[in-house]
Amino acid sequence: MNRNGFFSSLGSLLGIVLVSLLLVPLLAMLVSTSHQDIVAGIAHPMFLPALFLSLKTTSISLALTCLLGTPLAWWLASSRSKSTKIIELVVALPIVIPPAVLGVGLLQTFGREGLLGSLLQNLGLSIPFTASAVIIAQIVVSSPFFIQAATSSFRKVEPDILMVARTLGSSAVSAFFRVALPISLPGIVAGASLAWARSLGEFGATLLFAGNMKDETQTMPLAIFSAMESDLQLAIVFSLVLVGGGGILLAALRCLPLTVALTKRRPR
Amino acid sequence: MGLIPLVAMLSASMLATGCQGSRAAIEVKTELIVYAASSLVGAFAELEIGFEEANPGIDVRTTFAGSQVLRFQIEQGGPADIFASANQDHMEALVGGGQITNSLIFAGNDLVVIVPKANPAGIQTFADLGQATLIVLGSENVPVGAYTRQLLDNAEQHFGEPFKKHVEARTVSLENNVRLVRTKVEMGEADAAIVYRSEAFSPRLTMIPIPEKLNARVRYPIGVLARSENPSQARTFIDYLLSTEGVQTLSSHHFLAVQ
Repeated sequence: MNRNGFFSSLGSLLGIVLVSLLLVPLLAMLVSTSHQDIVAGIAHPMFLPALFLSLKTTSISLALTCLLGTPLAWWLASSRSKSTKIIELVVALPIVIPPAVLGVGLLQTFGREGLLGSLLQNLGLSIPFTASAVIIAQIVVSSPFFIQAATSSFRKVEPDILMVARTLGSSAVSAFFRVALPISLPGIVAGASLAWARSLGEFGATLLFAGNMKDETQTMPLAIFSAMESDLQLAIVFSLVLVGGGGILLAALRCLPLTVALTKRRPR
Repeated sequence: MGLIPLVAMLSASMLATGCQGSRAAIEVKTELIVYAASSLVGAFAELEIGFEEANPGIDVRTTFAGSQVLRFQIEQGGPADIFASANQDHMEALVGGGQITNSLIFAGNDLVVIVPKANPAGIQTFADLGQATLIVLGSENVPVGAYTRQLLDNAEQHFGEPFKKHVEARTVSLENNVRLVRTKVEMGEADAAIVYRSEAFSPRLTMIPIPEKLNARVRYPIGVLARSENPSQARTFIDYLLSTEGVQTLSSHHFLAVQ
């Protein structure tokens, strides 16, 4: 066997090890679950409210992350100043902090006795224990993933191309929307789907900052945590549904740039 | 490119753990693995020190988690010698399944109301609980929540008013363990909460007792695993818990002695 052949089969062997490590636990959960378990799980009173709340809050947090994160990522990618490097590092920090600790930090910021507590109270706003708290927690844990991905895909946009667009008469804004954004769309979508997946699984910060209340703040991961304390099988069913639904939505998101590209090409 | 450092790291960590194993073998200490409910963290850390001083040949290793999680780990073959549960149902299930031969009650607890030091809702007695607008309780899935429901039922009968409904309407979060309940009050986000007495002592909290006739009776069972390889050492540990010294440690952590 030649060297290339050896390395490629070694490579696939190593890949198979990791794929199994990622998939076998899911399969084990699936195998331990009967058809009746799934029916009973879906019929459980915690299930639908939690699923609905998860879909609602993660959609809002994803929209806000894209809205706030895209300009930031563009600035991080195009600016050459030292401060950009520092900001880029700082916005990645939440990734290394355990989410539960982030939840404590959020309480110390938005809570009654937090930094912004008296300000919010004067405005008549109370954030902890509400769906807003769930959304804020999700944005904090998930947006670093979006910013990272969007920044690195904006960096791949050649300044020359933008220059050409400008010399052909397009404004800076339209050069961004018609040239830079379409080029970096696959990377941005990948970042958005990663951020969305992280929000969907978000648990620790939500638990501390938003609490655990059915219909109000109990998202799927919190419902799973609650179920785990009394009925493990129920927790497994909830998780399988979350994995299944999450997988479908992720696949759909990943296909988005492709469909956009196809629909754009066809008419011309 | 990144693969070689990774492999090097993995093998280094394997070597490191391998070395630890052989070092432990030289010292020939018997390892006693204790799975204990999260609420026992403080007390068991101290009991471990006292026990190891009295029994230098035994090295106690403690693992803390919710009783339900520990029970699952034991059912899945977790390497425990002793299980200390905050809930009798989980212990009974393990005894029923043959994983534990018998169990006994080693400590008790009861419920109290906690409020932040500033006491924004002005709660002085248990009957004032309805004054609070932000109440945090344990979820009914977990032992503390189940005991809390018992207490609220008793209180409803005693006060002869919709006490329970009133409290439930002002409950903003149902937490899955006592520590989470306590954190919300410590951080001043909740006006009041109901927790175990053993969790109520913190510089940021004021504890308000609940009348004994209304209170729930919390009991902690402990048992030796049938598959333990060190059953006699395990029994020594339980004897230590029940000894004067053990009971003293438990009561210094605000657990009640139970005979």
